[in-house]
Amino acid sequence: MSALTAESAREVPSPSVHRSGFIRTYLWTYDHKMIGLQYLWTALAFLFIGGGLALIFRYQLAWPNTVVPVVGHFLPASAAVDGVIIPQGYNMMVTMHATVMVFFVVMPMLIGAFGNYLIPLQIGAGDMAFPLLNELSYWLYVLSGFVLIGAFFAPGGAPGTGWTAYAPLSSVAAYNGTRVGQSLWGIAIFINGLSSIAGATNYITTIVNMRAPGMKMFRLPLPVWSLFITAILLVLAVPVLSAAAAMLFSDLNFGTSFFRPAGGGQPLLWQHLFWFFGHPEVYIMILPGMGLASEIISVSSRKPIFGYAAMVWAMVAIAFLGFVVWGHHMFVSGMNLTLSAAFSVSTMFIAVPSAIKTFNWLGTVWRGSIHFTTAMCFALAFVSMFVIGGLSGIFMASTPIDLFVHHTYFIVAHIHYVLFGGSIFAIFGSLYFWFPKMFGRMLSEPLGKLHFLLTFVFFNLAFFPMHNLGLAGMMRRISDPTIYEHLRQLQPLNQLATIGAIGLGFTTFVFLYNVIRSLRHGAHAPANPWHSNTLEWTVPSPPGHGNFPVTPTVYHGPYEYSVPGMEKDFLPQNEPAPAEARLHSH
Amino acid sequence: MLPSGNGWFRRTVLLFVVVLCGTAGLYAEQRSGSIYWAPENATVTGHEVDRLLNFIFLLTVSVFVLTQAVYIFYLVKYRRRDGVKAHYFHGNTKLEIIWTAIPAAIFIGLVIYSNELWERIHRPPPPNALQVGISSYQFGWDFRYAGADGSLAMPDPEKISMENKFGLAEGDPAAADDFTSAELVIPVGRPVQILLNSRDVIHSFYVPEFRLYQDAVPGRTISWVWFETIRKGEFQLACSQLCGQGHYNMNARIRVVDEAEFEKWYREKSAKAQAAAAPPKIAENPTKTTL
Amino acid sequence: MTAATALVHETKHGEHAKASPATARFGMLIFLASEAMLFAGLIGGYIVLRISRGGEWPPAGAPDIGVTWPLSSLNLVMIVNSGVLIASSFLFHLAEGSIKKRSGSGIFWLFATLVAGTIFLVVQAWEWSHLRHEGLWFNTHGIYGSCFFVTTGFHGLHVIIGLCLILWCLLRQVSGRCYRPGHTTSLDNVGLYWHFVDVVWIVVFTSLYVI
Ligand code: HEA
Ligand code: HEA
Ligand code: CUA
Ligand SMILES: [Cu+2]
Repeated sequence: MSALTAESAREVPSPSVHRSGFIRTYLWTYDHKMIGLQYLWTALAFLFIGGGLALIFRYQLAWPNTVVPVVGHFLPASAAVDGVIIPQGYNMMVTMHATVMVFFVVMPMLIGAFGNYLIPLQIGAGDMAFPLLNELSYWLYVLSGFVLIGAFFAPGGAPGTGWTAYAPLSSVAAYNGTRVGQSLWGIAIFINGLSSIAGATNYITTIVNMRAPGMKMFRLPLPVWSLFITAILLVLAVPVLSAAAAMLFSDLNFGTSFFRPAGGGQPLLWQHLFWFFGHPEVYIMILPGMGLASEIISVSSRKPIFGYAAMVWAMVAIAFLGFVVWGHHMFVSGMNLTLSAAFSVSTMFIAVPSAIKTFNWLGTVWRGSIHFTTAMCFALAFVSMFVIGGLSGIFMASTPIDLFVHHTYFIVAHIHYVLFGGSIFAIFGSLYFWFPKMFGRMLSEPLGKLHFLLTFVFFNLAFFPMHNLGLAGMMRRISDPTIYEHLRQLQPLNQLATIGAIGLGFTTFVFLYNVIRSLRHGAHAPANPWHSNTLEWTVPSPPGHGNFPVTPTVYHGPYEYSVPGMEKDFLPQNEPAPAEARLHSH
Repeated sequence: MLPSGNGWFRRTVLLFVVVLCGTAGLYAEQRSGSIYWAPENATVTGHEVDRLLNFIFLLTVSVFVLTQAVYIFYLVKYRRRDGVKAHYFHGNTKLEIIWTAIPAAIFIGLVIYSNELWERIHRPPPPNALQVGISSYQFGWDFRYAGADGSLAMPDPEKISMENKFGLAEGDPAAADDFTSAELVIPVGRPVQILLNSRDVIHSFYVPEFRLYQDAVPGRTISWVWFETIRKGEFQLACSQLCGQGHYNMNARIRVVDEAEFEKWYREKSAKAQAAAAPPKIAENPTKTTL
Repeated sequence: MTAATALVHETKHGEHAKASPATARFGMLIFLASEAMLFAGLIGGYIVLRISRGGEWPPAGAPDIGVTWPLSSLNLVMIVNSGVLIASSFLFHLAEGSIKKRSGSGIFWLFATLVAGTIFLVVQAWEWSHLRHEGLWFNTHGIYGSCFFVTTGFHGLHVIIGLCLILWCLLRQVSGRCYRPGHTTSLDNVGLYWHFVDVVWIVVFTSLYVI
C-alpha cells in the first residue's frame, strides 16, 4: 500500500510543500489532501479484495461444485477443497465480500477519500479542524482492515454469518464454528466505528466552524452538504453498532447471554440494534454519492442545480426519516406485525425525498448544455441506476410483497443497484471529475468512455437478472442453487449474472490502467479543467500545502452557471459577480 | 477539454438489450416454468399478493419509463451545441410542491393497500384450520401433527432441548398421540396454521409458491402464519435465513394433496406412531391405547 | 455558528492552524453525542431485554444489587461511591476555576480529582469481585449478569480513559504550568469528558441499581 501511495504521489508537482521525509509526507501526515489520498488508495485495494471474493463465489453460483479457475487451488482449506468451494467457504466469502465492500470500500471512498479531500477545499479552509484526529482516523481504518483480513487466518476461518451477523448464529460458537473469526469481525467493526466517529466529528466541526468568509450554509456546494448530513448520521448511528458488536463479542467470549434465549436474551435485539445502525448506514453510503453526482451534473450541464434548497432539505429529510425505518428489514422476522405495518408507512415516506432529488436532477439537465464527459456519464447513469434500485425498494417496502421476496435475490439486486449502480458509479464519476485536481493530470477520456460503457453494460448484465432470480424464488446466501428443483431451471440467469460479474471485474482493469497511465503520461491538468465554480478549482492542481494562499471570500452560491449577461458561462464562488451579470438569489 | 459524446447512450442500451435477450434466449427451451417471473401461486392470499405485486410492478415500470424517457429526451435534446447557452434557472417552488405531493399521494395509497392486505393475511386462522407444529434445527425440519385426538400440544420454547425437541410439557395429554413427519403434507383447500419453533438459530419457513416467508426464532413460538392452498402439487420448503454451514441444503418436501389422500396418509401415520409408542404407553396410560 | 465566526486562521506555509478553543469544544461535544449513543445502545438493550423477559427481577437466586430499603451494606458502598465520582466532577471544576481565576495552579484539585476517580474505580473493581464471589458474573444468571458487567465495564473503561487524560493534564501542569487563563483548551475538553462520564454513571446507576 505504502509503495503504491508513494509511487503515485511522486509524480505530483507540489509547489509549496516543504520537503519533509517520506514518512511525514505519505504515512503520517496532517494534510487533509494526503489523508484523502491515503483513504483512496487503501479503499481501492479493498475494492479488489471485495470484488475478487464476489467473482469467486459468483463462479460457484453459476457452475456449482466445479473447480474455480485460476484461483481455486490457492483458496485456504476453510473455503475450498481441491479448488471447489465448500458451503461454509461460500458463506465466509459472502460475509467478507459485503463487510469489505460496505465498511472498507464504499464508506472510506465516499467519506474518507472525497470527504477529506473536498470538505476543506470546498469551504475555503486550510485544513480540517483536527488534523491529528484525521490521520488517526485513517490509521484506525487500516488497523480494522488488518483485523478483518486476519479473520481469514483464524482457526475455523472467517465468519460465515452474513454481513448482518444475525444472532444467535453469530453469537454462539457452537452454532457458527468460527468463534475467533467472528470475534475478529466484531473487533474490526468496533475499530472501524471509532475511525468513522473520529472522521465524522472532524467533518461536522470543520463545516460548522471553518467556512471561509461569505460561505453561508446555503452557499455550500452539495457534496459538502451531503457529507455534513452523512457525518451527523455517522455520529448517531455507528456507536449503536459498536454497542451491538461489543455485546456480540461478549456473548462469544465471556459467555454472556444478550442474544441467547436460554439466558433470557433476545435474538431480535441484535436485529434491532444492527438495523438501527444499518438503515442510516445505507443512506450514509448513498447521500455523499448524491452530493457528488449533483455537483458533476450541474457543472457538466452548465446550469444551476434545479432546486438547490429542495436538494438540501430532501437530504435532511432522508437523514431524519432514516432513523425510523429500520424495521423494514424485519417485517417477517417475528417482530410484532403491527410494528411491521408502521415501519412500512415510514419507509414509503422516506422514498418521497428521494423522488424530490430525482426530479431535481431531471430539472437540472433540462435546457442545459450537456457535456458528456466520462464523469458526467457516470453521474447520469448514477441517477438511472439509483432509480431502478429505489423502485425495487418500493416493492419491498410493501409488507405483503416483502412476505414473498424477503431474503431472495430480489434483495440482492436492490442492494447492488443502489450500492454499485448508486455509490460506486458516483465514486467512479467523482474520480474522473476530481482526479485532475488530486494528481494534476487528466485521465484519458477515450479510456474513460470505454470504462464507463463496459461498466454500464456488465453491471446491468450482472445484476438485472437477479430481480428475476429473486421473483422466481432463489434465496440469498445459498452456495448451490441446483439443490432445489425449482431453482435448477434458473441456472441460465445465474450464468448470465456471473458472466456480467466477470466482465465487470475485467473492466476494472481498464480503469486501473487509465489511472496508472495518466499518473505518468496524462495531460497536465489546468487549475480549472471543467470550468467549475467551487473553491477547489481556484487553486492549482494539485493544491499546495494549506490550500489557499489567501483565505478566499465567497460572494454567491456554487451553481452560478450560464448567468445571463456574462461572457463566460461560469462564475467562481470567490469572484464577485460583474455588474452586468443578472444573478438570481443567494 | 470537454469532448461531447453522441449516441453513446443509445448504443449502450441497444447492446445491453441484445446481449440480454440473446443469452437468455439460448436456454429458453430448457425451462419448465417462467424463469423471469414468480412461480405459479398456490394459496388464496398468494393470489392477492400477486395482484399487489402486479400493481406495484406496473406502477414502478410506468414511473421508470416516464422518468427515463424524459431524462433521455433531455440528454439528447440538450446535449452541448456550439453557440447554445444553457438556460439560467434556479428552480421553481410550485414544481417542487407538485413533485413532492404526487409521489406522497401515491405512497399513501400504496401503503393503505399494502397494509390492508397485510392485516388480511394475518387475521386469525379459522377454527377448522389444521395445525402443524414445525420445529427447525441445524439443518432440518420436523413436522408434528395432532394425531388421532385432533389436538396438537402447544410447544413451550423454553422447554426445547435435545431430548424434548418440540418443547412439550411432560404428561400433556394432547401430546400423547401427536405424530411427527419428515415432510409437510397438507390437504388442498383446508386452512393450515403453522406453529414455528427453532431449536438453535434463526431459520425460516419460505415457500415461494405460497408467497410466504416467516423466520423461526429460537425462544418463541410464532403462530400467526396460516394459509389455504388452492392447488395440489409438490413444493419445496426452503430455509431462507442463513443458519450455518448446512443452510444451503436445509429443505423439506411439501405435498399438497386432496382431502381423501390426506386422510389416508394421516391415519396411517397416526396408527404407526401409536403402534411405536404403544408399549411404554400401556404402562403409563392404559386408557389411551383403546382410542 | 455563522460564517462570521468562521475562523480560518491565516495559514502560513507548512504550518497548520490550530483549532480555536470554541472549535475544539464544539468537536468535543459532537464526540460526546456519539458516546451518548453508545451508552444509549447498551442501556436501551438492557431495558428491552428486561421488559421482554418479564418475571421477577433480579432472577431468582441471583445476588440483588438493587437499591432497597433498608439499605444493604452493598447499597451503601455503591451510593457513597457514586457520590465520590460526582464529587470528582466538582473537584475538577474547582481545578478549572482556580486556574481561570488565577487563584492557584489547580494542581491540588487535579490531584484530588485523580484520587477520587481512582477510588471510584477501585471500589468498582471490588464490587465486581464481590459479586463474582456471590455467583454473579458475565456468564451467570443470564441477561442479569450480562447487562450488569458489560455496561459497568464500558463505563469503567471510560473512567480509566478519563483518569489517563486527567493525569496527562496534571503532568502538563506540574511540569510546565501549561494552563493559564485563556490557555485551557485541552483542560476544558478533558473536563467536558469527565463530566460526561459522570452523567453517564448517573444514568447507568439509575437503570441498573435503582429501577
Ligand atoms: C445505498 C443504499 C440503499 C438505499 C439508498 C436504499 C433505499 C431504499 N431501500 Fe434498501 N437496502 C439496502 C441499501 C439501500 N436501500 C441494502 C444494502 C439492503 C439489504 C440489507 C441486507 O439484508 O443485507 C436493503 C434492504 C431493503 C429492504 C429490506 C428488504 C428485505 O430484506 O426484505 C427494504 C424494505 O423496505 C428496502 C427499502 C428501501 C427503500 C424504500 C429505499 C428508498 O430510499 C428508495 C427511494 C427511491 C426511489 C423510490 C426512486 C426514485 C423515485 C422516483 C423516481 C419517484 C417516483 C416513485 C414512485 C411514485 C414509486 N431496502
Ligand atoms: C458496496 C457494496 C457492494 C459492491 C460494490 C458489491 C459488488 C459485487 N457484488 Fe455484492 N453484496 C453486497 C455489497 C456489494 N457488492 C452486500 C451488502 C451483500 C449482502 C451480503 C450478505 O448477504 O451478507 C452482497 C451480496 C452479494 C451477492 C449475494 C450472495 C448471496 O446472497 O449468496 C452476490 C451474488 O452474486 C454479489 C455479487 C457481487 C458482484 C459480482 C459484485 C461486483 O460488482 C464486483 C466486481 C469486481 C470488482 C470491481 C473487482 C475486480 C477485481 C478483480 C478482477 C480482481 C480479481 C481477483 C481475484 C479473483 C482474486 N454480492
Ligand atoms: Cu436453516 Cu437456513
Ligand atoms: Cu433499510
